[in-house]
Amino acid sequence: MISIQNVSKHYGAFQVLTDCSTEVKKGEVIVVCGPSGSGKSTLIKCVNGLEPFQSGTISVDGISVGDPKTDLPRLRSRVGMVFQHFELFPHMSITDNLTIAQIKVLGRGRDAATDKGLKLLDRVGLKAHADKFPGQLSGGQQQRVAIARALAMDPICMLFDEPTSALDPEMINEVLDVMVELAHEGMTMMCVTHEMGFAKKVANRILFMDKGQIVEDDDKDSFFGNPRSERARQFLAKILTH
Amino acid sequence: MYEFDWSSIPGALPFLWEGMKVSLGITACAVLFGIAWGTLLAMARLSALKPLAWLAAGYVNLFRAIPLVMVLLWFFLIVPQVLRGFFNLDPNTDVRLASALVGFALFEAAYYSEIIRAGIQSVPKGQISAASALGMSYAQAMRLVVLPQAFRNMVPLLLTQAIVLFQDTSLVYVSALADFFGAAYKVGDRDGRLVELLLFAGAVYFLICFAASQAVRHYQKKLNAHVAH
Ligand SMILES: Nc1ncnc2c1ncn2[C@@H]1O[C@H](COP(=O)(O)OP(=O)(O)O)[C@@H](O)[C@H]1O
Ligand SMILES: [Mg+2]
Repeated sequence: MISIQNVSKHYGAFQVLTDCSTEVKKGEVIVVCGPSGSGKSTLIKCVNGLEPFQSGTISVDGISVGDPKTDLPRLRSRVGMVFQHFELFPHMSITDNLTIAQIKVLGRGRDAATDKGLKLLDRVGLKAHADKFPGQLSGGQQQRVAIARALAMDPICMLFDEPTSALDPEMINEVLDVMVELAHEGMTMMCVTHEMGFAKKVANRILFMDKGQIVEDDDKDSFFGNPRSERARQFLAKILTH
Repeated sequence: MYEFDWSSIPGALPFLWEGMKVSLGITACAVLFGIAWGTLLAMARLSALKPLAWLAAGYVNLFRAIPLVMVLLWFFLIVPQVLRGFFNLDPNTDVRLASALVGFALFEAAYYSEIIRAGIQSVPKGQISAASALGMSYAQAMRLVVLPQAFRNMVPLLLTQAIVLFQDTSLVYVSALADFFGAAYKVGDRDGRLVELLLFAGAVYFLICFAASQAVRHYQKKLNAHVAH
């Protein structure tokens, strides 16, 4: 589904990603972790072309992201993305947030889009908030709306960039629950997160990044059992004692 | 001691009102075209295409560095010729209003574009990312997501600029157009009551602009209270 081959990226002289390669198969859930600044966000943003990269190839569902001939907006409309700071559109009601891209990008009719949006809103447990504005919801609620907004586009896979790290602790689980449910339904997911409970529950593989490199790419059990690299061991020791 | 004599004002009110309509008309047109053209300039300045950004920056810096009265005079001298040549107009057609409008709009666009550019930059980058991630093109992301938020933040500044612009319309006297100020001047000149008429005109400008800026402040307070929530 997602294939990343020898991807490197630099800002001027600064190397953000060095020779990153991995595969995400259909239905797999991959968790990406690693210290702050290690390039996790950059890598995941390369997958839907929000960040350009200088060398290597990424393909999603067989479509090359780096190819200048690729219709990136069209590809992105099929890849859901959830951001650390939710990024709901504050000037639109929740319903409009859920329908705008369905209508303007996919060309769906307003009624069909609203139907779909409200169904997904119900699914994330927020049906009663349809007419509110993002600023009236808590962080956890906003993030659930953001997930519903992405799902409304019928994505073939979902990318998450630290979806819970801007949330108050008591709101983390309501978001993780939605993500776990998605994983159980077979959604292909690439999640940057430090929620190791989530990783243990649903991840197929864990990527550990450090200084722009994918240092570990292990299945879950061997990663938590016995990481091969010293850096991954130290990182795990740090976050698991928290 | 100077003896004030206000008696020529009541009879001149209809004529002055015609002048006020010209002033308000020029203001409205210049605001609309200034904002439209200013938005394009602002987007050009923020564009990744460097030559386009440079051209827009050059335009803005040029117009912000020359006095408005000069721009109006140039347009008064040049634009009528061009318009006549271009549209094959009768030499007697009055194009003073058109040239004043064009001059104002082009000049004000430079100021509006700076306000709008700041407004666009005040919208967090993540909003564009989110719009793009949903499959919107850059143009859609701008039109549907960024500009509505930018304009909502900018309304007070845009209105304040409109008030300044309204005052500046008095400069069209260089083209002998009978705007409000020009009309007041004419009446005063005719009746030998220039001081009274200009005091009266000043008072009217003051009342309108003061009331408008109070309204803007009121709106700004409401907006701030809304954002704070
Ligand atoms: N636009 C940019 N210009 C220069 N450096 C950047 C830019 N964006 C990110 N970086 C750098 O790239 C590195 C990786 O960033 P990021 O992918 O956000 O890391 P992570 O998500 O793992 O915390 C960081 O050192 C960051 O400072
Ligand atoms: Mg990050």
